[in-house]
Amino acid sequence: MTDSDNDKTSLKSFFWLWGILTIVGVVLGLYGPSHLMPKSMSPNMHLTILTMVIFTVAAAPVAAGVYAATIYVLRNWTHKGDEPPPPAKPVRENGIIVATWVSISVLLTLFLLIWGLGALAEDNASASSNPLIVNVIAQQWVWTFQYPGTHVESNSLYLPEGREVEFHVSSDDVTHGFWIVQMGVQVDANPGVITTIHTTPNVLGTFDVRCEQFCGLNHAFMDALGDVVTPQQFSTWLAAQPQRT
Amino acid sequence: MTTTLEHTAVAEESQGGGLARYQNAGTAVAGGVLFAFLFWLIARKTMDPTGEAFNDQVTTILGCGWIIGFWFGIGAFNGPMRWLLGRDHSRADDLYYAGHNQGRARYWKYTTDHKVVGVQYIIVTMGLLGVGGLLAMAIRTELIMPGNHFVNQQVYNAFISLHGMIMILALIVAIAGPWANFVMPIMIGARDMAFPRLNALSLWTLVSAASLLVAVAAVGGLTMGWVVLAPITDQNGVGMDLFALTIVVFAVSSTVGGVNVVCTILTMRTKGMTLERVPIFVWGAITTSALALYAFPFFFLVEVLQLLDRNVATSFFVSGGGGTGWLQANLFWLMGHPEVYVILTPAVAACFEIAAVMARKPVFSYRTAVAAMVGLSGLSILVWAHHMFTSGWAPTLGGPFMVTTEIISIPTGLFFLVLIGTLWRGHIWMKLPTIWMFGFIANFIIGGITGIYLSDIPIDNQLHGTMFVTAHFHYIFVGSVLFGAVAALAFWFPKVTGRFLDEFLGRISFWLVFIGVQVTFLAMFASGLKGMPRRVSSYSVIFDHTNLITTIGAYIIMSGMLVLLGAIIKSWGHGEPSGPNPWHANSLEWMVPTPPPLENFDVMPVITEDPYNFREEMVRS
Amino acid sequence: MSIDTQADDETADARIAEGNAAHDQERHHDGGEGHGGGGDGGGHHESPEVVDGRQRMAIWLFIGGDMVILAGLLFTYLYLRGTNTEGHWMNMVGYTGHPWSYYYNVLFVKGGSLPNPTTVSVNPVSAGFYWFVTLVTVVSAGIIWFGEKRLRASRDAKSFVPIASLATVVALVALVLTIVQLRQIPEIFVTQNDSAYMAYTSYSSAILVLEGSALIHMVVLAFLGLGLSIRASRGVISGDKWYQVRLVRLFWVWVAISSVIVAAVVTTVNTIH
Repeated sequence: MTDSDNDKTSLKSFFWLWGILTIVGVVLGLYGPSHLMPKSMSPNMHLTILTMVIFTVAAAPVAAGVYAATIYVLRNWTHKGDEPPPPAKPVRENGIIVATWVSISVLLTLFLLIWGLGALAEDNASASSNPLIVNVIAQQWVWTFQYPGTHVESNSLYLPEGREVEFHVSSDDVTHGFWIVQMGVQVDANPGVITTIHTTPNVLGTFDVRCEQFCGLNHAFMDALGDVVTPQQFSTWLAAQPQRT
Repeated sequence: MTTTLEHTAVAEESQGGGLARYQNAGTAVAGGVLFAFLFWLIARKTMDPTGEAFNDQVTTILGCGWIIGFWFGIGAFNGPMRWLLGRDHSRADDLYYAGHNQGRARYWKYTTDHKVVGVQYIIVTMGLLGVGGLLAMAIRTELIMPGNHFVNQQVYNAFISLHGMIMILALIVAIAGPWANFVMPIMIGARDMAFPRLNALSLWTLVSAASLLVAVAAVGGLTMGWVVLAPITDQNGVGMDLFALTIVVFAVSSTVGGVNVVCTILTMRTKGMTLERVPIFVWGAITTSALALYAFPFFFLVEVLQLLDRNVATSFFVSGGGGTGWLQANLFWLMGHPEVYVILTPAVAACFEIAAVMARKPVFSYRTAVAAMVGLSGLSILVWAHHMFTSGWAPTLGGPFMVTTEIISIPTGLFFLVLIGTLWRGHIWMKLPTIWMFGFIANFIIGGITGIYLSDIPIDNQLHGTMFVTAHFHYIFVGSVLFGAVAALAFWFPKVTGRFLDEFLGRISFWLVFIGVQVTFLAMFASGLKGMPRRVSSYSVIFDHTNLITTIGAYIIMSGMLVLLGAIIKSWGHGEPSGPNPWHANSLEWMVPTPPPLENFDVMPVITEDPYNFREEMVRS
Repeated sequence: MSIDTQADDETADARIAEGNAAHDQERHHDGGEGHGGGGDGGGHHESPEVVDGRQRMAIWLFIGGDMVILAGLLFTYLYLRGTNTEGHWMNMVGYTGHPWSYYYNVLFVKGGSLPNPTTVSVNPVSAGFYWFVTLVTVVSAGIIWFGEKRLRASRDAKSFVPIASLATVVALVALVLTIVQLRQIPEIFVTQNDSAYMAYTSYSSAILVLEGSALIHMVVLAFLGLGLSIRASRGVISGDKWYQVRLVRLFWVWVAISSVIVAAVVTTVNTIH
């Protein structure tokens, strides 16, 4: 009808654009999360970063498709000026396109769900029948860690490498959020309730505990330091601690 | 039979109105202050001053006094009282309430004309966005570098709480308020809303609530985040009571508004205006209103329980007497997630409308668009617990809620199909609304996809409570909803004022805000991925670069919004005249004169087809 | 704002066929698609059926919102009972009795201090009384329904006045009974931070808010009943305006049903085991 109604051959540039943007998205997905996120110190964190990468790669063609289509539309079919352009050829319905789009989104969602539920099961799976129990007690704005079986109480979190740890989290006052940044585990500390999470530290070194649930005045400063040490160092440290009366 | 109010006898107009002749915003404020004072006196005398809740009780009663006095002053009780006494409105009364021949004064009164209410909503929204925006700038200024520099933690916490709540209120009404009131009744061929007085009630209850929210700052503020989940709210001063009252009143306002919009759309359509022929924005208005009717009763309930806990020592959310914060979390998020779609759906629907008119092409797959909006609303009531994945509440329900949440990506994806399908091979007229609409598309894809990450529990176990979440929902609320709102404003501005929104300033504003959003929130994603928690007044030095970039971006957004404000002020009085149908559209709101007369239509139109058949001969040279 | 408002769009005018006077006559009969057409916002020349249909929809929507609130209240009740946080569903650390008796007997007469607080349990509210209040509410709804049926048949507003007044009085009785019921909710005297006050366990709290909600509904019913009485006596709802009574009745019956639901839940599911 008019020069702006491009024929099919020119869709080539759309597919080029889509391809290039997809590659950009995939590259971002492969390098972005693992570069920006804290180093992994547990299987949970490893799984989190892996899932981030997979989801980003899976989402890249979708986002790239929308961007490519938008850019293509902007390049080919826009009109400037104060007078309205003539009416375009009406396309009210295209069952095939809608069905294809729905099928693809259903498949993508299925993939995300299968992967996500699998990862969730893996996240929750308990690796050991004899985990180290650590009681985590939150209060405004301090973390306290107790090691049941001993009388040790500490404001830093020492953990042995390679052994599953089960955290029993509670609060003395308001709701806090117990978060081990490098291990990808979080759970709220609620007054009157004990919540549990577990993880297995698998890298030696220091890590951060932060509060991720708004808890009042000094929420921003409610951190604790943590250290993953070898089992031998852990026993030595535990024995050397002053006993709580 | 078919004459409009404008043509009725002049003799009538001097008689109607009754008490309303003496009521306006001034008497409302006076009534509010008077009642607040009286209630305060009574509370001081009757409440037990040794009780723990004395201050809360006095504040709550004072707040109720403000609300009741304000409603008396504005005239909200006139209708019920006249109903009770059997003295129903005469035609002259209805004319007076509709603001007949009252000039600008009608914008300050309990006016029932839906166009007046629409304009009032525009002003209220802009006011709320302005206050919320200033608070946002204060927050970003504080976060420009690690450590507390400009304000202390207490003030900072008050900033984030009020910023959150004001912006939520602003965005809930930003599109549905002005446009479901101003243009929607004209779109469907109605002379007004189904219940014009309820329409005024919904607006003025909102004003009474919003003013109470501002008063929160005066009584020590709200320092607990806008979600205000117990038990931390126990530590908040009396600001919490006024906040809870605000929400209770706001829930009343939106319920009344929602009933009105649903009834208007279902019963007021003109002959031939079937539900397949209404402009697509009408579908957005009805789904969002219906969803609000489901969601806001929970908001009402949760804040009533909060008030009882604080004022009469009940034990709903505090553990000493068997209460639990998880009850509040559940009730709150039963409201909280549907509310997101109450905010989003009108923006999407406005973008559909703009895309179709500006591309000179029908909405692609109208049925898909409707199904996506309705489906999204329906699904949104089944996903609330995804806000509680890391709370420790019912870990076994994590899987099911993850499934429902991720299914939402299917109707959301259909929005893109409809938008791109509509624009594809269109003849797209690049005017201001079109440009903001494209901004919506670009930002919404980022906001949408980052939501999928957060719906996945293993990822949420890391990113929950971080700046990643903040960046995600700001891409939705600022990047998408605000862009949709500005697109809608630019699109329907000529119908309100008879003038175009300044194209040049509008484009400058667009580029500033668009670039600002990318700079601000992409950097905020990086902060979150690195592990920076939300709602912190200070942060570790490892987050300094990304936060500096975010703050710079926020200032770019602010400058863009100021340019937009300038454009609105300039164009409202002195913009380029637009004529009644500047976009050469077919829907009814463009067929009536600008500004539309009272009761909109001289002759009720009869509709034979939907408004998207753009024809060659429509174009005038 | 004197903008050029000339409607110069011919094709658009072609699309919108001229309405005519006949259209207004038709619109009550066109049922099916495009129902309820020709909405005249001003309202004075709309037929009662059109107004009735619209207002009935609004009443249903408000009832829908009220249902959500009731669902939330029952969820609150059952959730608190189900979790029984720290075993405090029906007990609390405090004292039996009222602070006045403590101030008088312990502090004033004996000059001592408060004893150590103990765990005080509360008893469930009286099921019999609950059902009695519910019965009164249901009776008031029955009266208004009966009145509506008669009015619908006779269109005689004058004979409706005593019925509406009776329903209002019965609703007021229910209102007073609800206040009595609210006064019976067990409270526990607790002290904290040098202040003494009466507190509610989560059981009492949930009952309090359920009955408080009932109280507010009773106030609304009394208002509506009074309005119907006055309006009927003034002749405002006679003839084809009888439908106003149906609107009120819909809400009234819903309040009765909700009070039955609440009574059934709180009197059968009250203790833990």
